[in-house]
Amino acid sequence: MASTEEIQENNPRGIPKAPFISDVEGYIGGPDGEVESALKKAQDALAKYRYMDANLTQRRRGLEEKIPDIRKTLNMVEYLNERRVSKHKTDGLEEDLEELGLEDDEASEKPLVTTFELNETLFAEAELEDTDVVYLWLGANVMLSYKIPEAIELLATKLKNAEASLQGLQDDLEFLREQITVMEVNTARLYNWDVVRRRERRSKEAAASTE
Amino acid sequence: MATNTQQQISVTDLDVPQLADVRRQLDEELTHLTNSFTQLKQAQAKFRSCIDNVAEVKPSNKNTTILVPLTNSLYVPGKLRDLENVIVDVGTGYYVKKTRAQATKHYQSKVDYLQSNLETLQETILKKQENLTFVVNVLQSKIQAQSPAGTRNTKD
Repeated sequence: MASTEEIQENNPRGIPKAPFISDVEGYIGGPDGEVESALKKAQDALAKYRYMDANLTQRRRGLEEKIPDIRKTLNMVEYLNERRVSKHKTDGLEEDLEELGLEDDEASEKPLVTTFELNETLFAEAELEDTDVVYLWLGANVMLSYKIPEAIELLATKLKNAEASLQGLQDDLEFLREQITVMEVNTARLYNWDVVRRRERRSKEAAASTE
Repeated sequence: MATNTQQQISVTDLDVPQLADVRRQLDEELTHLTNSFTQLKQAQAKFRSCIDNVAEVKPSNKNTTILVPLTNSLYVPGKLRDLENVIVDVGTGYYVKKTRAQATKHYQSKVDYLQSNLETLQETILKKQENLTFVVNVLQSKIQAQSPAGTRNTKD
C-alpha cells in the first residue's frame, strides 16, 4: 500500500515523519472500516512523539547549561596562555634590556593573584604558579592534566561539538512539534469522521425501521 | 479531650468527611514542615563545612601547592597567599574580608542560629504529629460507630 511507504520516511536523525491522513475513508478502508485501531495507532504515535519531545528538551537544557561553562574555561586557559607567552617574550627582552642598563619594572615578577572559592560563601586568596600545565575536570570523578596548548584544543573541540549538538536538538525539537500537531489533527479527523459515520448509520437505520 | 486551640469547634463534633479533610490538611502541613526541617539541616551542614574550610587556611599550609579552581572545570596549581584573611559572603551582594578567627565566629553564630530554629521547628512538628494522631483516632472511631449503624440500616 502506498500509505505504508509514506510512514517509513524519517528525518536525518531517525525521527519518523507523521503522515497526514487527507482521505480518512481511504486510510481506514471503506465506509465500514474499523476506526478504533487507527485511533489507537495515532494515540501511540502521539505518546511516542511526546516522550521524545520531553527527552530532547531535557538534553537541550543540560547543554545550554554546559556551553557557557566550557566557553568560560576556554577563555581562562587562553588568557593564561597569553600571559605565559608574553612573559617569556619579556624574559627574552629583559636580558637585552639589562645589557643596555635599562630595567623594566614589570619584569618577570608578576604572578597572578586571584580570589577563589573555597566553599559557597567562603573565598580565599592565592597566587597562581607559572606552569604550562592546567587541570581539567572532565566529570565522573575524572580530572586530567593537560599542557596549555592541548587544553585549548580539547576545550575548543568540546565547545564546537556541544554547539553542534545544541543546534541539532533545536532542529529536532521543531520537527517534533510539527509531527505532534499533524498527529493531533489526524486523531481529530478520524474521530470526527467516525462521529459523522455513526450519525449517518443511525439515520439510515431510523429510515429503514420506519419503512 | 484535647482540642486544637485554633479551632472553635471540638474535633469530635466534626463528621467523617470533614475529619478526613482536617486530616489531609494536617498531613500537608506536616510534609511541608518536615521539608523545611531538612533544608535547614542541610544549610547548617554547609556552614559547618565552611568552618572546617577556614581552618584549612592556616599558616602551616603556607607553601603547600594547591589546585586553584578558576572555573567549574579548570584548576591551576598555586599557593595560598593570604593566610590570615578570608572573604565571606554575608548576603545581599556584600563580601567582607575577615580574619580567620572572625570568619570562624561568623559561621559558628550562623550554625547556632540555625540550631535554635531547628529546635523550635522540631517542637512544632511534634505537636502537629500529635494533632494528626488524635484526628485519625477520632476519624477511625467515627467510622466504626457509623459502619455497624450503616449495616444495621441496610439489613432492614
